[in-house]
Amino acid sequence: MSDDESQSRVAIGISFGNSYSSIASTNNDGNTIVIANEDGDRQIPSMLSYVSGEEFHGQQAKSQLVRNPTNTVAYFRDFIGQDFKSIDPTPCSGSAHPKAGSDGATFNIKDTEEDSENTRTISEITTRHLKRLQTSASDYLGKGVNAAVITVPTNFTDKQKEALTASAKEAGIEVLQYIHEPVSAVLAYDARPDAKLSDKIVVVVDIGGIRTDVTVIASRGGLYSILATAHDYDVSGAQFDQALMDHFAKEFIKKHKTDPREDKRALAKLKLESEAVKKALSIGTNASFSVESLVSGIDFTSTINRTRFELIGNKYFASISRLALSAVEKAGLDPLDVSEIICSGGSSHTPKVARSLQSAFPEGIPVLAPATSPTSLNPSELAVRGAAIQASLISEFETEDIDQSTHPMVTAAPHLGKAIGILSISGDESSGVFRPLVEAHTPVPVRRTAQIAVPREGGDVLIKICEGVSQIKVSTPAPQPKAEKKDDEDEDSDEDDSEDEPEEVRERVWKAETVLSEAALRGVKKGAKVEVQLDVAADLSVRVTLRQVGDKGGKGLIGNIKGSAKENGHAS
Amino acid sequence: PVLPEGWTAEKDFKAVGEVSAATNRSIEPVGPHFLAHARRKRHRRTFSEDDRI
Repeated sequence: MSDDESQSRVAIGISFGNSYSSIASTNNDGNTIVIANEDGDRQIPSMLSYVSGEEFHGQQAKSQLVRNPTNTVAYFRDFIGQDFKSIDPTPCSGSAHPKAGSDGATFNIKDTEEDSENTRTISEITTRHLKRLQTSASDYLGKGVNAAVITVPTNFTDKQKEALTASAKEAGIEVLQYIHEPVSAVLAYDARPDAKLSDKIVVVVDIGGIRTDVTVIASRGGLYSILATAHDYDVSGAQFDQALMDHFAKEFIKKHKTDPREDKRALAKLKLESEAVKKALSIGTNASFSVESLVSGIDFTSTINRTRFELIGNKYFASISRLALSAVEKAGLDPLDVSEIICSGGSSHTPKVARSLQSAFPEGIPVLAPATSPTSLNPSELAVRGAAIQASLISEFETEDIDQSTHPMVTAAPHLGKAIGILSISGDESSGVFRPLVEAHTPVPVRRTAQIAVPREGGDVLIKICEGVSQIKVSTPAPQPKAEKKDDEDEDSDEDDSEDEPEEVRERVWKAETVLSEAALRGVKKGAKVEVQLDVAADLSVRVTLRQVGDKGGKGLIGNIKGSAKENGHAS
Repeated sequence: PVLPEGWTAEKDFKAVGEVSAATNRSIEPVGPHFLAHARRKRHRRTFSEDDRI
């Protein structure tokens, strides 16, 4: 790495969440490393706390939620660049409350040695948080970090980005680019050395601490386009914690006749320990809960197993699956169109979340989460890994280059409405088999190449390029002869098993539609293969190149299908 | 499929239809493949020109 003389840029990836933030960097070998701060945490709580003028950050600040809640600022990311009226301060009930300021939210905290409250704006708080992240990264890397790629949710507005850029600048960080959290997660998976690029529909389920975001992404040859998004602020990791809190609180009431949820300090302790229990239940099947002096000096210890937790949290897990299904519907797709589901965010560690997604979607769709896939990456690190990869890709670029490349003029592209492919087996569209070469939702210009088998006997072959659509075929298999009912009537109400009603079989099938072109390839050898290359230009014109595989001499056959717009000059 | 008897076309290629309407979306400006796309678009290069560089 050669540092530029005028300004050497050291860029990292930052994932800035409401609950946790993380930092990552890509080293010279191209490996991405998620950096731990001086407390050894890779998931650093996005919290700041002040005790007699001293600033605490991350986990240390989080512990202050019990003793020093009013001087602890937490869950503030979504307040950045927002009008005070439009923010939801609910998550801050256990910490410093946001107040209306002239420019969005402010916090009244005692952050100096004097015993007086100071009003700090959301941008000041953000700057301090980013500064601490920057320090941790600089300490680890041994050089001053001065630039970053930061991940943001898909519904983060330009105003919020501007405000964040200003806060980052105050902290001495140049924001090279904002990238969307779900896209960052997909990039983290696609950047693995063993990953193969393919055309796929990816659903990213990002379950955070206080919000859940589902994003449907078309991944086409490494280009990502967002088809639909869904956000839910009512179901997230906090609800999983709440379920555990209620469970333990009830147990405590049974023993001691007082509700620890009514005491602020007890509630804070209960909350912290419930989160720890939740994390423990993602790894083990049993976890113990213990808080010293929960209420009025009473220590409380208890245990819970994973099954019990899955039972009390089931409605939340189910609603996350429903949110994912509704996002797929919003994208105009069928669950069968989904190629894979990526679980992201800290609460994705909960095994039941991934399994409930797995059962909500058709069988065979991989759910990339620790519980359902041995090769999955750590869901907490996905966003920051993607950001670090992007940072390494663009850190050498001039700022102007980055701005120009991310300009809407560049990112806006026509996406194909229907798939384009080859009709094989039969020349008739109704009985032929459609094989897609370029899938729908692929941005143009695009080039795809495939090899197809020709009729065994060889000879002259007709190659038809068609448009096709994928359809869902619903078929009901012939009802199986029912097992004879037993004489004694079973009282159990779970009669409506899958055995009783023949289940509908839904499958995805391709249907060829408009024929775009016909071409004849003459004198094809026996058992030979034909290489078909489609170049779809930005004006939707298609250039078809046909060539017999292994036929070095022949130039093959080239044909053009006119686009709806004026034809582009092609260099051949 | 086998070529039907008597099928002819100029240079053995016949364009029949047109690609149906596309929808305008934006590509996420992320990842190595996007950067390659942006490079092509900004310099108005085609795939084959890009391959040669």
